Order: sequence, then structure tokens, then C-alpha cells
Amino acid sequence: MALYDNKYWLLSHIRNSFISTDDTGMCELIMAGEEGCRKHLKQSLDLYPDDEDSEDDDLSHESYDLQLDMDFGLRYRSNTAVRLEKLEQVKKKTSRMKHVKWEMNKTPLSQEQLDEMFVKKELKPKVNEEKESLFSKTFKQYRMMPTNPFIEYSKFDGSGQVNVPTKKYRIFLTMLPEHQRNYPLQVCCIGTAKIHDLIGLILLKCSTVYEDYLWKPVVNYGLYITEEDGEVDRDFPCLDSRENIAKFGFTCLGLVEHSDPTKCVSFGNSETVTIRKGFDDDINEKTKELSKVDQEKQISSDLHLMDVHKKAMEAPLYKSYKVYMVNKMRTKVEIHLGISGEKIEIDPVQKNSKFVLVKQKPMNHDMDMIAWCETVDIKSNRTIFRIIYSQSFGTTNIQDNVSSFTPTLQTSTSFKSYDFEADHATAEEIVNKISLILELRSSDTRKEYLAAQERRYYKKKAFI
Amino acid sequence: MFDKSEMDQVLLATGGYDHTIKLWHTHSGICYRTMQHAESQVNALEITPDKQLLAAASYQHIYMYDLNSNNPNAIVNYDGTTKNVTDVGFQVDGRWMYSGGEDCRVRLWDLKSKGTQCPKIFEVQAPVTCVCLHPNQVELFVGDQSGIIHRWDLKTDHNEQLIPESDAMILDIAIDPLGTYMAAVNNKGRCYIWSLKSGKIDEPTKMNPRHKFDAHKRHALKCEFSPDSRYLVTTSADQTAKIWNTSDFSLRQELKQENQRWVWDAAFSSDSQYVFTASSDGCAKIWNIDTGSMEKEYAGHQKAVTALAFRDCAV
Repeated sequence: MALYDNKYWLLSHIRNSFISTDDTGMCELIMAGEEGCRKHLKQSLDLYPDDEDSEDDDLSHESYDLQLDMDFGLRYRSNTAVRLEKLEQVKKKTSRMKHVKWEMNKTPLSQEQLDEMFVKKELKPKVNEEKESLFSKTFKQYRMMPTNPFIEYSKFDGSGQVNVPTKKYRIFLTMLPEHQRNYPLQVCCIGTAKIHDLIGLILLKCSTVYEDYLWKPVVNYGLYITEEDGEVDRDFPCLDSRENIAKFGFTCLGLVEHSDPTKCVSFGNSETVTIRKGFDDDINEKTKELSKVDQEKQISSDLHLMDVHKKAMEAPLYKSYKVYMVNKMRTKVEIHLGISGEKIEIDPVQKNSKFVLVKQKPMNHDMDMIAWCETVDIKSNRTIFRIIYSQSFGTTNIQDNVSSFTPTLQTSTSFKSYDFEADHATAEEIVNKISLILELRSSDTRKEYLAAQERRYYKKKAFI
Repeated sequence: MFDKSEMDQVLLATGGYDHTIKLWHTHSGICYRTMQHAESQVNALEITPDKQLLAAASYQHIYMYDLNSNNPNAIVNYDGTTKNVTDVGFQVDGRWMYSGGEDCRVRLWDLKSKGTQCPKIFEVQAPVTCVCLHPNQVELFVGDQSGIIHRWDLKTDHNEQLIPESDAMILDIAIDPLGTYMAAVNNKGRCYIWSLKSGKIDEPTKMNPRHKFDAHKRHALKCEFSPDSRYLVTTSADQTAKIWNTSDFSLRQELKQENQRWVWDAAFSSDSQYVFTASSDGCAKIWNIDTGSMEKEYAGHQKAVTALAFRDCAV
């Protein structure tokens, strides 16, 4: 090794290092013009004894055009490496296998061998006896047993699957009695399953392993991020059961029985363990009835939850309402009120405008300008509601970014308002929709409006 | 409750296009073990008479799996066939194994003797689709794609041919446990029945055509006699399996289910009360022969189930 004490090599190495680490490219530019210098240097420096047959110091060969990837130090494995590894695995597998190669033997079998190999069996008609097979016997007895309710999830079992992407999990079962939950349950699930399916598969496995425990329907359980030692991380909500399992990278999860299935994060304070005492019909029937009531409750609470979710989800979607705008002069103009997550549009309904005294211009307000929406007055057949907005906010936000960060300077922001009139149901829907959007966005305008309201409240209080 | 070891005596294995072989608890429908069959689909399955090993016929190989361990991989590989192995079976005492393949050869594999292998080979003109061992254990009946049935005498190597129908592939052959009937089905859905007459000591079995009928509208894929010789089951691409009375070959039951697609394989319980089927909907099913109703499904395969093996035992 004539490397570290070879001046040429060292020189070359230093030059290369400069060039390759300099992102500006300046080093390369400068050094490329030093060709003559270097030759001179080479002559003036003492030659290393074996430099003639050493390629390292042949300076003219060195390439500056080094292509360093951004992720240097981390080289992706080539296809060949992957393939080699696969071959290696197959080899390992087959080494544990006995191989029987087809070979024709050269010497024909002797008559003795033939007689020994091929013995003709005399076939006697069996005595016709009605014997039941072991299979039929067990099958008939088990037919009375209810089928496993989780059997439909068996198709998500990924164990032993080849050519199908699968994910392996270690599942800690928090509902089991202390001495049984030391070790996680190993579950292998096919990659296309949803969290819901994974829970079903886990329950299928559980129901075969821990037969004594009464397992509830899939909706009663949630999967939580869990430490390696089985400690469930209760700070995070459970994995969304509608999501594909591929979305989550965790391999260690905890199965938790929810005390209230409508809530995503709800741990029972006391984990009740129901042990099935036997196949007593009485008990069975009771549990069946119970579970029916439970299910109905569950369904109704699920429906309610879904409704709430749906409303929240749909709030930012565009919807147009036909309402009346109430002007300062108490005149009413029919308008279209379009509400989306981004803005509120006010469009007058086109009429024969010649005879209309008050004309309403079409207006557009960014949602960030809107501060509040509330019901003002409820009359016998209609409701008046108010949308409060700030003129300055929307414009300053766009034109001058700096000002939007200094809400204290804007205490003087004058809030303006529109009044509308509609039937009760529509008004309620609009107020709900806008309130939900505002809550979701929590814009500065809204914050400021709330702060202003608060200040006014305290002022009033102080005044009184 | 049943003794676990007793339950182990009832074995059901299924395999197919998803490159896995599954073992099932027959009474509960739960799959308790999945074995990998990575290199190809499973063409046929058979359990050794001693219930220790499971043979899977696949592309170029026959793999043998240990039924009494949790090893997901095969433990023996029988190598040397150049194309698909289409059928596999065992001599009644597990002395040797037979296999047929698309390379037009039927092979005998010695399972017992060490060192001194004495394999036997039988060549035909067309790819072999099925091999059936006569219960007398010395004659093999081989069906091929050209529609010929070969009777191969293992002791004398004599053979003779039967051609029930030209331009039709023989897809399966079955002989009842008493050795009185032979059935063969072809790709036109037709079923042929011969009555067999056993010869004395070294004389060959004589075959007399007895009956022929259209069992199915499309390919008939499998036929199998019940252990008590009273029924014949045929499975088909027309999405049904049919049970026939062997007394007059009248239809006893049609085993049909919406969307079960091709029915590939079938096996009787040893008391001839139930029959298992394997179908392209990814399920194995158990049917009651008396009622014709499906009693349980064995679901878990990701793709079509094309082969099953079942071993029962008498109480």
C-alpha cells in the first residue's frame, strides 16, 4: 500500500476532495487551469520509488467529474443484490429439503424385487355395516355450535402467502387477564386490508386461542399505538378503522376494548372480564338477548355520530340558499347566498330591476373576513340571522401581510354586518354551516371579534 | 369436547392458485396452518396412508410436506419431471408413490427402500391428465389428453388401450373401492362407466363398457367413487358437482351454489355421508349427500382452490 505516504496520491486526494465537496464549482474551475503547475510539481517532488507501476499517481487520469448523490453514504441495493439475496434464501430453504432426483436404474428389477414391490391385493366385498366416520361424528356434534362470528375475516390472513404483500403485527391484548397478556399475539395480515379487517382477523385468532373470553363485535375494539413492552400509548387516538393498514407503519399495536363504541378514544376505567362458564343454554340465551340490545344501542349511537360527522364534513362544501337580505332601510331583496369553505357570495336574484328601488350589488367575502354568524330574531314564520364581517381584514391580509400579524393595532377594526331573513330551517342550517366553517378555520378576524366582544362585556360590567 | 389427537386424524388440505396449501379444522372451518408452495400452483394433493406427509403435485416437482410439524416449507422435493405434474397418489401401504405429468410420463417413486431405487416409468403419446391406481395395487389406469385410457400392469409392464371417444381429453378416472366399476370423465362433460372383472393372480382386469351419459354441460374435471361404492361424484366447469347413484347412474344430488365457479376436486367422508368440493371461488365446501345442502365453507384462500386431499377414519 503506497497510498498515505505517496505525495501524488495525497495531492490528488486533496484536490478531489476540494472539488467534490464544493457545490459552487469554483474549485474545479480554478484547479482545471493548473495542469501545467501540477506537472511542474510532479517533477520537482521526489518521486516515489515504485511510482512507475502505480496508477494512483498518474494525475492525468484522475477525474474531477465525480457524481456524488445527495444521499451519499447510503447506496441503494441494486437489483442484482436483491436477486442474489433471493437466490440465497431459496438455497437456504432447499438445503433443508431432501431432494430426490428421478433416475432410471440400469439393471432391470429381478422377479423377486418385483414380487416384493407389487403385491396384488385381494378385494373382498366389505360387510355392509353402517359405521359412522370420525369426521361425520364430530361434524354433526359441532353443527349445533354457533359458527365463529369472525370467520369472514379469515380471508385477510396473510400467513404463508406468497406473492401477496403482507404485514406482520405484534398485538397486545389489553383485555385479557394479567397472566395471559405477557406475550403479544403474532398476526400476519394481507396488505390490502383495512384496520377494521385487521381487528376482525385478530379477533378470529383470539377467539380460537382464548376460547373462554367472550369476544364482542369488531366495532367495540380499537387498535392503539403500543410500546414494545406492551404499554399502550393512550395519548393518541386509535387507528381509523376505515383506513387501509398500509397507511400506518406501526408493527406493535394494542387491542383495546372500548367502553363506549361511539367514542374513538375511550378506555374503560374498569375492564370487565366476562368468562363464559359453559355451554349452558340459559346463559347463552341471556347473552344473546343482551348483545341484541347492545347492538341496537350501538347502531343508534353510531348513526348519531355519523350524522354529526357528516355535517362537519359537509360544512365546507359549497351550497347556495335563496334568502332575503334586509337592508338598513328595512327593505328586502331576494338574493342567493352561496356558502363554501372559502368564501361567501351574495348574488341578487335577477328581476325586472327597473322597478326595484333598492339595488343590491353582488358581493364576495373571503371566509377569513367573516367573524361571526348568529340568529338575531325569530319571528312566527321566519328567522333573521346576521353575518358579521370585517372589511379591513380581508383586504389587509392580501395586500399587506405584515399588518395581519399585528392584531393589537387593529382594535379599531370596524365590524360590519349583513342581516338576512329566511325560514326557520334554512336559517338554522346556514348559521350552523357558517359557524362550523368558522370554528374549523379559526381566522384572525374571528379571534379578534371574540376578543372585542369580551372587552365590551368587561367594559359594560365595569360600567355597571 | 373431542380429544385433540383424535381430531388430528381427520385431515383436510386444500391448495390452488394462490401458492399456498392450507390445513383445516373440518368441524369449525378454521384454517390452522398455511404452508408455502411458492414456485407454482397446486395441481393435485394427496395425503400418505400413514397421515404423516402431504404430497403436492406442481410444476416440475412433487413437494412433500410434514403434517406433524409447523414447518411451512416442504421437506422433500421429487425432481425430474420436465413439465406440470398433474396427478399423484400412493400405494395403500405407502410403499411407493405414482405420478403423472404433462411430459407424457407416468412415474413410480420408491418411498421405502434406501439406496436401491427401483423407479418405473411408463410413456404415452400425449400429456397425462390423470392416474388412477386399481385397488388391487398392481394396475394403473392412465388418462391422457388424446383421449386414451391406458391400463398399465405394474408387474408385467403389459399395457392396453381404451378409446371411449375420439377428439376428447380424458380428465379423470376413478375406480370404486371394490374394483367393480371404473368411471372416466372427459372435457365434453361426458361420463363413461365400465364394469371391471378381476383376473386370477396374474391375469389382467377385464373391462366391459357398461354405461355412458352426459354428466355436465361443460368440462367434467373430476370423478370419484364413494367408499361404500354407492355413489359417484363428478365435478365440472359448469359450476356444479353431481352425485350419481351407482346402481343405475341416476342423478342423486346436484351440488350447486351461486357464483362458486369451476368445481375442481371432490372427496367423500369415509362413511359416504358427506362430500367435500374445491372451487374457483376460493372456498372448499362440505355438502350433505342426503339433503344436497352445503353445510360449511372453508374460506381463506386468496385465489381459486383447485385441489384438496381428505383423510378420515372410521370410529
